[in-house]
Amino acid sequence: MKRIRTLYWPAVWDTLALLLWGLMLLRYWWSGRLAVLLHPDYHWLAIGAGWVLVGMGLWRGVTLFRPTPPSASAGAHIALLPRQWSLMVLLAIAVFGLIYVPRPFASDAALARGIADPVALTRSQPQQFARQTPPAERSLIDWIRTLNVYPEPDAYTDQPVNVTGFVIHPPQWDDNYLMVARFVLTCCAADAYPVGLPVELTGDRAEFPPDSWISVQGEMQTETLDGQRRLVIAPQEVLTVPEPKNPYEF
Amino acid sequence: MSQLNQGLTLFLSLLVEATPFLLLGVAFSSMLAVLVDERKLIAYTPKNPVLAAISGSLFGCLFPVCECGNVPVARRLLMQGAPSALAIGFLLAAPTVNPIVFWATWIAFRDQPAMVFWRVGLTILISVIIACVFSVQKDMRPFLQPAIARYLPSPEPKPEPALVGSGSNLLSGGDFLLQSTGTLKLDQPMMATLGATTALPQQSWRDKAQAVLEMMLQEFRELGAVLVFGSAIAATVQVAIPREWILDLGQGPITSILAMMLLAWVVSICSTVDSFFALSFSSIFTSGSILAFLVFGPMIDLKNISLLLTTFKGRAVVYLFVLAAQLTFVLTLAVNLYTSW
Repeated sequence: MKRIRTLYWPAVWDTLALLLWGLMLLRYWWSGRLAVLLHPDYHWLAIGAGWVLVGMGLWRGVTLFRPTPPSASAGAHIALLPRQWSLMVLLAIAVFGLIYVPRPFASDAALARGIADPVALTRSQPQQFARQTPPAERSLIDWIRTLNVYPEPDAYTDQPVNVTGFVIHPPQWDDNYLMVARFVLTCCAADAYPVGLPVELTGDRAEFPPDSWISVQGEMQTETLDGQRRLVIAPQEVLTVPEPKNPYEF
Repeated sequence: MSQLNQGLTLFLSLLVEATPFLLLGVAFSSMLAVLVDERKLIAYTPKNPVLAAISGSLFGCLFPVCECGNVPVARRLLMQGAPSALAIGFLLAAPTVNPIVFWATWIAFRDQPAMVFWRVGLTILISVIIACVFSVQKDMRPFLQPAIARYLPSPEPKPEPALVGSGSNLLSGGDFLLQSTGTLKLDQPMMATLGATTALPQQSWRDKAQAVLEMMLQEFRELGAVLVFGSAIAATVQVAIPREWILDLGQGPITSILAMMLLAWVVSICSTVDSFFALSFSSIFTSGSILAFLVFGPMIDLKNISLLLTTFKGRAVVYLFVLAAQLTFVLTLAVNLYTSW
């Protein structure tokens, strides 16, 4: 009974909030879902922050039964939100983050974000040169970058192509066309934007439902699609593949 | 349903990316508050208003604080006799002109490194201009809350001191402590007293570490909650508002800047992490408007107005707000109209 009476409740909430936030970050790492949220270059930042938060939680946990008066400098802090509110918000989000499994963006997100034109509106202009890769080794984003530099489709006719991405069924296209697409990430999912290339199938696109992952091998050709001259893949082989571990391109 | 998923993924991705930078900012600002004595720094800074404004706006490189940490530091600077240009320059520029924010912006805008330099350059320019404007006011006391103002030395020749500080060592009523810098009164608000004294003198390293951790926790608790709200708003705006509206708004050179400044003001997201937030708009908004968000947000926003009011009187906060808003608008509009960037 005595232990419970001396339990220092503010420290309990602090400890819980810190530990749960840390665990939330670490859990995304352990479960491999961090790739859905973040560019791989910055995974270490999130993982490091997770460990720091767990460490702070443990430090705070030490004071659970040994209340220490807040230090003078801490007393000078100006609070904006009442302490309990902030704590409740942090706790609620940590619990939610531990339960919820984030999913990569899918075809409807791509359609909503506007994928149609390779030359987007005020798309951030990359201030670097992309290296030249042989056509057969270009990923989707390599193709789009190449097209951005020189958009004439005829220049690429008969070049071999081998790309992997998820399926989109743009509603305005005929049933034998689909789009193979990928989301591109610079930093985190907040700046993800979709890129894609049309594929002309011999059969009906219903064979490859939206959001399923395919690998397409074939050659490039120029066609008029939806009133626009475009580079289209004429596939020799379309295979259904599992979703890659890292669904984005960079 | 899928829109909800999309929004939640966005929300979590913003949180996961921003948390490390928030922790870093909180750690530095806490260490600064506990370990550094600003009085020594003030002694080395120039008294000329323009030079003081410039050095104040570069102080952030030494004090990497976000816009929540800068108000207490600026207040300590003022109370320890720093020129007003120095304090104002610091107040406006420090949240942006510091290594952590530089790094975070660099990471967020990896495809547009120019964004980092425009951001830092414009912030310094605006801060120096406003600091110079404020330095015209020789006596800052009418601009400050009374609890702070009474610490400031009068710019006129010193009136004959009453009891304390001259020849007499007698304590007057309400005196509390005799210090090398003057006397601290017992009847003054505790917060002002704490701000005026050097932070926690004569402490062991263990105590100091404890105090730093304590403060980090306190700031993380509060700013973390603000970050959660900011991320939620960013995710909602992206998913819920019809894209055509945002596109219309984001493509106009003037409307886009006004919209992003308003957003910066409302969202009040911490400067160490606001570049990630802005990034989610960078594909549809003009570069100038993204810049306006990154420059204006850290200077004045809904959240730090309440912090500013703990130090400045309402009138001074209005001046700061109007000057910062106008300068940001004009300069970023020039970026939109006269640069191809």
